[in-house]
Amino acid sequence: MLINIQDFIEFLRKTAQQGDQISQVVVPVRSEYADDTHTFFRPLTESNTPLFNSYRTVDPAKFLLYLPREQVFPAEQTKNRILAGVKACDLKALELLDAALLYDQFTDPAYKQWRDSTLIITSDCDDISSSCHCNLVNGQPFAENGYDLNLSQIKNDFLITVGSDRGDKLLDRIKSEIKTRKASESQRMQVEKQRKRIIERLTGQNKPYSRSSHYEKLRTIDPAPWQDESMTCIGCGACTHICPTCYCLILNDESKADQFIKQRSFDSCQYNGYARVAGGATPRPSMTERFRNRYLCKFDYMVHNFEKIGCTGCGRCTQACAGEIDFRQVVHNLQNMAIAVQ
Amino acid sequence: MPVLLKTTSPQDIENPYRVIPAEIYDIVQESPLIRTLKLRPDEPIVFKTGQFIELSIPGVGEGPFTPSSSHFETERMDVTIMKTGFVTNTIHQAKTGDRVGLRGPFGSHYPLDTFEGKNILILGGGCGLAPLRSLFLTLVHEIDRYNSITFFAGAKSPKDCIYKQAVDEWKQYPKVTFVRAVDEVPAGQEWHEDVGVVTVLLNKLDIDPADNPAVVCGPPVMMKFGARDLLEYGFREDRLYLSMEKKMYCGFGQCRHCVMGKYYACKDGPVFTYEQIKNEEDIWE
Repeated sequence: MLINIQDFIEFLRKTAQQGDQISQVVVPVRSEYADDTHTFFRPLTESNTPLFNSYRTVDPAKFLLYLPREQVFPAEQTKNRILAGVKACDLKALELLDAALLYDQFTDPAYKQWRDSTLIITSDCDDISSSCHCNLVNGQPFAENGYDLNLSQIKNDFLITVGSDRGDKLLDRIKSEIKTRKASESQRMQVEKQRKRIIERLTGQNKPYSRSSHYEKLRTIDPAPWQDESMTCIGCGACTHICPTCYCLILNDESKADQFIKQRSFDSCQYNGYARVAGGATPRPSMTERFRNRYLCKFDYMVHNFEKIGCTGCGRCTQACAGEIDFRQVVHNLQNMAIAVQ
Repeated sequence: MPVLLKTTSPQDIENPYRVIPAEIYDIVQESPLIRTLKLRPDEPIVFKTGQFIELSIPGVGEGPFTPSSSHFETERMDVTIMKTGFVTNTIHQAKTGDRVGLRGPFGSHYPLDTFEGKNILILGGGCGLAPLRSLFLTLVHEIDRYNSITFFAGAKSPKDCIYKQAVDEWKQYPKVTFVRAVDEVPAGQEWHEDVGVVTVLLNKLDIDPADNPAVVCGPPVMMKFGARDLLEYGFREDRLYLSMEKKMYCGFGQCRHCVMGKYYACKDGPVFTYEQIKNEEDIWE
């Protein structure tokens, strides 16, 4: 299905304003600084312009579904939203968050509500950032499933693909309100071509970083290389907060005289107090150990827990790092070392 | 692949963060640093011995504790707590009549069905006796199901011994051998029982280790050497049960603070067999 981009944006604006079924539409918008090419998730308004394709936003979609701080008891009612412009790396991260936060008998009440009430529209990347590396972790710069609708840009139009019943219903609504056209075979081919072009750019950019995918060997390396890699780490926790798959939390007690209230907020395994128990003992007292823990968590522990690695290649941790540590480079170096040891 | 121990769910699986208020109806000062809160929850809390709950002081925070009362008692719950950090300091200032919050129960429990007809060894020290008291009281409630219970309890010094009043009674129970040891007897304190780290009591043990379960709980160093000594004595790795203490924040495997390699102490534990965790990192820290 083809639809004019401006028409689509107008449809989203109208939908948000009407507020009957959808109370908010969140989209990627450019930073207010002219020379900044990054985008951020913001509510769609009269005055801002969404930029759907480009590359991933600065803030992960996680921030909108698993809030940095929110009340979990008593759980509060969430509102129906459309979250548009989500990239494949963030969507893949939600699969892991689903596995972690919605498994069998335990459900995070707030995350579940946000997940249920948020319709997700993904969009193909038509650009990459210098830290993007989804191709190294079996990812790709477009979503294949798990979305409600997906947008691929063809000049002034979007090619819309349906991924769920919920998406199908929204598309019906779109069709009833604005003009749509059928996509031709050559237009579909064009999308394929664009996708291939971005994959080639990713492959080119990430050529220096090899991956063996035998991540379990990371555990076998002795402390010295970890120390070298973490030399400039200051333990600020930016990498974990910005990571789309990190979900470590602390529970704050905000109870009032007559009511118990629990708030959860982000925590980071990079902090010294993270695993400290009463009395002061901690399994990871040094920065190097905490640094190592983050890599092992992503490539070893999460694989055991969820049968997938905890990195989707968004590269946000690399961009957020005050110590200029490149995540790809660290994994590359350590893997090579692990293989050499074997 | 070692088998995971059984767990049961908290009562409100829709929201595991739900708090059940409870009133402190009595407080027992067990030792200078350890006290037992006697609680009456607003609704019965059904747990299995070995599981833990999160106890919160309104506006301050919460921490994981194992009930120290029998799991057959659901209207009331004892929780034995050592003063050792921020939250526990506040708990130690609580008074009778104060209200606290409870979440849970969470985690794995002692597999009592496999203890049937066995000679059970319980080995613990310090505040690690809290879950063991729960186990012990649960076992003696149905003592006919088991062959015998040997309970070796340790403490730093005589004044650090807990459950003082109950101990004399416990020693009288049929099929029960209860022996205590203290690490040292400082000048001015009186002691007529054993002296030495609690594992010295193993030389008084007269059961076949290959066929019987052993349960250990105590400070990390005691767990480490206790486990080593029991293995040396001949207990099997898959029948040696350890109650692990980690920073269990949420209680149900989401916050990741208590991760021990591939396990969560809160969800896969706190009760583990030695066989399960022997190869994981940082287990004794």
